[in-house]
Amino acid sequence: MTVKLYIENPEIGPDFEATQEKLSLPDNPSPEASWLKHARATAMDKFLTVGIPGPKVEEWKYTNLGFLANENFALAHRAAQTSEITASFDEAYMAAITGPVIVFVNGYLDKTLSRFPKEGGMALTVFSDDPESFRQDLAARDDSTSLNNLNRALVTDGYSLKLSENTAMAQPVQIIHIVTAETDRQSARTRGQITLARGAKAKIIESFMGPDAVRYWSHTISKVTLEEDAELSLFQVQLQGKQAIHMTELHSSLGKKANFNHMSLQLGAGMSRTEIINNIDGEFAEVNLKGAYLGRVKQSHDIFTRVNHNVPNGESHQLFRGVSDEGGKSAFQGKVIVARDAQKTNAHQSNKNLLLSRKAEANAKPELLIYADDVKCSHGATVGELDLDQLFYLRSRGLDEKSAKELLVEAFISEVFDGLDDEILLHKFKEKTQGWLTDKVVA
Amino acid sequence: MLEIKNLHVTVGGKDILKGVNLTIKDGEVHAIMGPNGAGKSTLSYAICGKDGYDVTEGSVTYNGKDLLAMDPNERAGEGLFLGFQYPVEIPGVSNMNFLRTALNSQRRYRGEKDMAAVDFLKLVREKAKELNMDPEMLKRAVNVGFSGGEKKRNEMVQMSVLDPRMAVLDETDSGLDIDALRIVADGINRLRGSDKSILMITHYQRLLDYVIPDFVHVLAGGRIVKTGGKDLALQLEEKGYAGLGVAENAA
Repeated sequence: MTVKLYIENPEIGPDFEATQEKLSLPDNPSPEASWLKHARATAMDKFLTVGIPGPKVEEWKYTNLGFLANENFALAHRAAQTSEITASFDEAYMAAITGPVIVFVNGYLDKTLSRFPKEGGMALTVFSDDPESFRQDLAARDDSTSLNNLNRALVTDGYSLKLSENTAMAQPVQIIHIVTAETDRQSARTRGQITLARGAKAKIIESFMGPDAVRYWSHTISKVTLEEDAELSLFQVQLQGKQAIHMTELHSSLGKKANFNHMSLQLGAGMSRTEIINNIDGEFAEVNLKGAYLGRVKQSHDIFTRVNHNVPNGESHQLFRGVSDEGGKSAFQGKVIVARDAQKTNAHQSNKNLLLSRKAEANAKPELLIYADDVKCSHGATVGELDLDQLFYLRSRGLDEKSAKELLVEAFISEVFDGLDDEILLHKFKEKTQGWLTDKVVA
Repeated sequence: MLEIKNLHVTVGGKDILKGVNLTIKDGEVHAIMGPNGAGKSTLSYAICGKDGYDVTEGSVTYNGKDLLAMDPNERAGEGLFLGFQYPVEIPGVSNMNFLRTALNSQRRYRGEKDMAAVDFLKLVREKAKELNMDPEMLKRAVNVGFSGGEKKRNEMVQMSVLDPRMAVLDETDSGLDIDALRIVADGINRLRGSDKSILMITHYQRLLDYVIPDFVHVLAGGRIVKTGGKDLALQLEEKGYAGLGVAENAA
């Protein structure tokens, strides 16, 4: 096998067998089943065949992963309960929401902080308890990305939510990813799978927390399967530490009349990459993707979306707003592909960027590939600065420059959260964005 | 008391104001009229501190304090209010949020505590009602989708809530139909008082039918060329600027 070693890490590559031992012990309670060992080894082989996507790979045009070649990210270890973990948990946890809570610390389930209330029609399990439920996902021999295969090979934990027909969850599920301060140059890899049977409804709130002091790599892959009439709303709040590498990759497939809503807020991490790949496989299904990303010096956010309209009468809406302060960098790459048969598709995409400094960067790359001839599709992308007339208007009414800028930035991203009918979440999003601006907006 | 002495202002390198002298005492209402290009808007922006309006000579003091050394928000904190000729639209910021932030910013500047939310709500509703503004409009984004008249009414509601001691109104009457003009005039008259000063900048005489000024000045070619009582406005209406020996577009 020709090995394209883009990562200088003995754990990944020649010494993977030793790494596999570590994946079982001491962090995981029992030795892994042979199918799992085999699946990991196969995934690692696949990863090594392709390697880390290089700078010439179009999908990674705006985020250069070259640094991974020189940085050695070892597997993170299970952490003992500390006040640090509790503090992160308290910041992410929404006590007013009484549904299930799953907490991963350094990529391992934290049983003390998690809770699994029983609910009719719901099966909620974790990888460390029930690897079998991930068998299909991990053993898949699909042509997924090399990073997905890396995650498959090294995954330490994850959650699986299954709802049976017409089950509507009473409360949202909270998934909280916490990384501790002992994780310098370490990686935490988890997976999630959500399968909603016909007519089932769920809401998931996923938070990502981590310390500023260490450089770690948080890597999460999720798979969403929605059968006919099923509805999932997934919210992601990314508050990783300033040096963190944050990667999420989500694949959804929608059956007839299914509905998938994804809303994300990127505030933390040194480098974040959010991939949302959607397949509309049933007629009259709808995908709504919304997100705001705010970055400043030594931060880059990369939002990468795909909506594949594979059948007629599908609908998709995308709305992303980016703000870059001095030194911040961002990219939005959104592609909508309407297949030849996907007539009457309704697909819209809007990406607007606000630069608060001449030393900020925003990239927007909207793409529409339409092979059908009877569709309504649109896209729009803008990059602009604060409006000086608006700024003066606010200042003439008494707001100092900083407050006026804060208000305008808040207003700029507010469109993302408009129409969110969940007061608790709305409050969370607003609180976090206001905090970001109050702290650091340029004077 | 607002004192403007020998004010010279350039905009984009061009001399617009060439030595304006004007004193407005507490309780007085002054009107500044003048042909297009006379520098009327420049005067209001210079008083309120807009970027790009560079004062090259002269002074503007308010109650003895040097306004020109202050940021626009500090001037607002001192009690200054600028009514805009073209009120700006701010999508994503509700009128209510905007007003509360503005009012509390000014209070903090003056070393006062934020107004309690309940009191603020009461105040805004009361002022909106006085000026016949639909309370629903308070929830909408600042000036977005408002008609010309609604925007000017909104300016008056803001002025009424912020309760300035010195209001500079830049062609607040322009582009208004008679009903909207009455609302604006009503807003100005409500502000009038022994401790309040008002400077109205206007192109037409008709606002002065509703708000009777104590003094009328004619600004032309970057200077105040004539000062009189309310009759001066009527003479202007009758004879035009040329009839009073003022050249149009003198700037």
